[in-house]
Amino acid sequence: MKTPPVTGINTVAKRLVGRRDSVLERKTIRESLVSVAGLINRPVKDNDGKLIGKLVDIVVRHGEETYPPVSGLIVKVGQRRSFIDGARISKLTHNEILLSSTKINLQDYERRSGESLLDADVLDHQIVDVNGLRVVRSSDLYLAPLDKEIRVVGVDISFRSFIRRILPGSFGRRATPEHVVDWATVASLADGTGVVRSNVSRAALSQLRPADLADLIEDLSGREQGALVELLDPDLAADALEEMQDEELQGLLRGLPAERAAELIARMEPDESAEILRDLTEDHRESILGEMETKVSTTLRKLVSFDETLAGGIMTTHLLITHEADTVGSALKLLVENRDRDISDGVVVVDAKGKLIDHIQIVELVAAKSTTPLSELIGPPYPTAIREDTHLDKVIEEFNNNRGSSIVVVDEKNKPVGRILADDLVDALSSDGENPGSGGF
Amino acid sequence: MEQVKEKKKIAAPSPKKIRLAALLAVMGPGLIAGLSDDDPAGITTYSVLGAKYGYQLLWTLVASTIALIVFQDLGARIGVVTRQGMIGLVRQKYGARSGTLSATALIIANIGTMTAEFAGIAAAGQLFGFSKYVTVPIAGFLVSFLVLRGSFARVEKVFFLVSGVFLAYIIAGFLAHPDWGQAFKGVITPTMPFTHDAVYIATATLGTTLAPWGLAFIQSYAVDKRLTRDDLKLLRVDVWTGSLLTGIIGFFVIVTCAATLNKQGITIDDASKAAQALKPLAGTLAKDLFAIGLIGAALLAASILPLSTAYSVSDLTGRPAALDDSPKEAPLFYATFGAITTLSAILILIPGAPLITILVITQILNAVLLLPLLIYMFGISRDKRLMGEFVATKTMRNIYAVIIAIVAIAIGCMLWFTVFP
Repeated sequence: MKTPPVTGINTVAKRLVGRRDSVLERKTIRESLVSVAGLINRPVKDNDGKLIGKLVDIVVRHGEETYPPVSGLIVKVGQRRSFIDGARISKLTHNEILLSSTKINLQDYERRSGESLLDADVLDHQIVDVNGLRVVRSSDLYLAPLDKEIRVVGVDISFRSFIRRILPGSFGRRATPEHVVDWATVASLADGTGVVRSNVSRAALSQLRPADLADLIEDLSGREQGALVELLDPDLAADALEEMQDEELQGLLRGLPAERAAELIARMEPDESAEILRDLTEDHRESILGEMETKVSTTLRKLVSFDETLAGGIMTTHLLITHEADTVGSALKLLVENRDRDISDGVVVVDAKGKLIDHIQIVELVAAKSTTPLSELIGPPYPTAIREDTHLDKVIEEFNNNRGSSIVVVDEKNKPVGRILADDLVDALSSDGENPGSGGF
Repeated sequence: MEQVKEKKKIAAPSPKKIRLAALLAVMGPGLIAGLSDDDPAGITTYSVLGAKYGYQLLWTLVASTIALIVFQDLGARIGVVTRQGMIGLVRQKYGARSGTLSATALIIANIGTMTAEFAGIAAAGQLFGFSKYVTVPIAGFLVSFLVLRGSFARVEKVFFLVSGVFLAYIIAGFLAHPDWGQAFKGVITPTMPFTHDAVYIATATLGTTLAPWGLAFIQSYAVDKRLTRDDLKLLRVDVWTGSLLTGIIGFFVIVTCAATLNKQGITIDDASKAAQALKPLAGTLAKDLFAIGLIGAALLAASILPLSTAYSVSDLTGRPAALDDSPKEAPLFYATFGAITTLSAILILIPGAPLITILVITQILNAVLLLPLLIYMFGISRDKRLMGEFVATKTMRNIYAVIIAIVAIAIGCMLWFTVFP
């Protein structure tokens, strides 16, 4: 498949969301855009022109659809805020809101699950601009008829449109479609009851790099922050969280339900998980660990108990353990199954009692025949092995002495429990010296 | 279902012991926002109040400090809970016009106040024989350099260091040998001569202590410091300490002037003249301390004001605003900072610029702006969707309402006396 050359932000947008055309490019839609900001506070009339009330807000329904349809209007009738079903709107332009019948439901509007209010929840609130990779405030929203319903099709994030809204009278209400971007290219996180579930914005978000996502998460306010994390695929969210700054992450985890926090932390590399858990208060840590599977929480509890200055505190517990009787073929299969992990540079070989014998590099495995038993590949150079309670200084010394890229960590019975890779060491050392204010000014 | 879970989690007890290290990590917003309210305009107001009315009006400072504690506490809490600055929240909750209007008024008032800070530096510099054409540009470069080049942690450290200069006022206070009995009486007995001048200076005390830019600053700063809900308890300690210190320093400025200038019947109209007048009465050291305090106060406020403005402008437009961002990442933030600093420095350096007019207009604008900002904060504090379980209790709502009413009356009086002097 050929990818067209990237010429502007719209092209990037289309590529990101995987769409061939934006609804905003359809002439009928471009010409019928209605500014939401301009509609608020406008009179609502019936077909005969009789005043019913003033528009307070517009209710939209969220579902799997990309462009949320208007499910109703909140209209101030006298002192009451009544909900008027969207089916009764007979005309909606930037000048007029007409209803087909004057029957008014006299009950006050109450929020319903899966709906949000455009003025109260979305307009002027933070949204994620997926193209620009940034958090912005929405300056205006645009409605247009699409697929038999009135829907939110566009959002305006330009400052010029924001200023336009300050202008008096009809100047302030005029749509300025030149700054409108497709609703599908932003992720609105302002929600009443649940997450705004648009497959398209979710798909667009899933194409971002974890580090970019981490920046976005950090830029959001509290409520929106949680919403974005909820919106993401758990694996991606876990990756993004690993990239976040410590204090930010702490704050975010406090705001998440323990169940969700547990899900995300369990998906991270164990050494990262342990590092994060170690920084939490005991109560908070226990509430999160309590939501995990016992097997996972036991491992993490043990890791957390190690100090960050000891080998056990910085090692990764993911190991690819094979027995000396296993074949090269099965070892390679194991490596392929775990190819996403950064430990997949070789396998650890143990004897029948589970004690460490050797670490075999992937290169050696590839060079050997697949039916060869691993025992035939065992031989020098043997891996450097250290105990869990070895001090960080000693670990560094060992790395220096061996010039290898990893060290195997063993318990008191010489059974392998983890490995320390060069990047674990880098992490440990950089978090050690993480004190930006320590220098003089 | 999720809601219930969340509640349970937050109700879980947080660490009971307030450890010093943890406290120091949270410290900042309250201390810095509070102390920067003791800016040259503030010191001038306190000096005039002490020189003219002796110990009698000390209680107005007590009342102002209480209002400061209550609203700084609210501002910091709003910042932590919503993770948004004040102007952004006003835009979100009250709409584009309210947001823009508040931001515009804040920008203009802040330029005026920044000019006043530079005026303080110029005046204090002249006490040591330095021309304002030297001191003001140096101060402008110093604050810009600090904010442009420093990380958040480093900038905060410098703020703390500069705040230490305020100790000078406490020492100067002791050197003046005040009548502590009289001072105590002035603190606890609210009496007031009903003259234009007395009402004016009392309101000015309230206005200079509870400044709009300070309220906007504490909220944005708490966001930038990335404080979280777990820090709220410690943050309260920080806010109380900061606000009380602000009051205590004001107290010492007032008693210094009451014990010396008022006793001798010397009237003054600004803080540097107060320092000069102190020399024969309390010694050269007292005068120097007073002047050094003034420079420190001006430098601190001169760093905070453009920062507060930059936070507010970024907030309004929804653009990134963080000291840890580089100028490339947050161009609007740093451009605003630079523009405010430069504009104010130019205003103070133009020969023949109508400084007095600028300062009076600034004072009025700050007073007029304060009321809607307090009301917005009040509204945000009651918004369950924004504040969650930190929504204001009935008692707190009543306290806010009473303070807002008093501020409204005081501002009304002040405007009245400004229009009909």
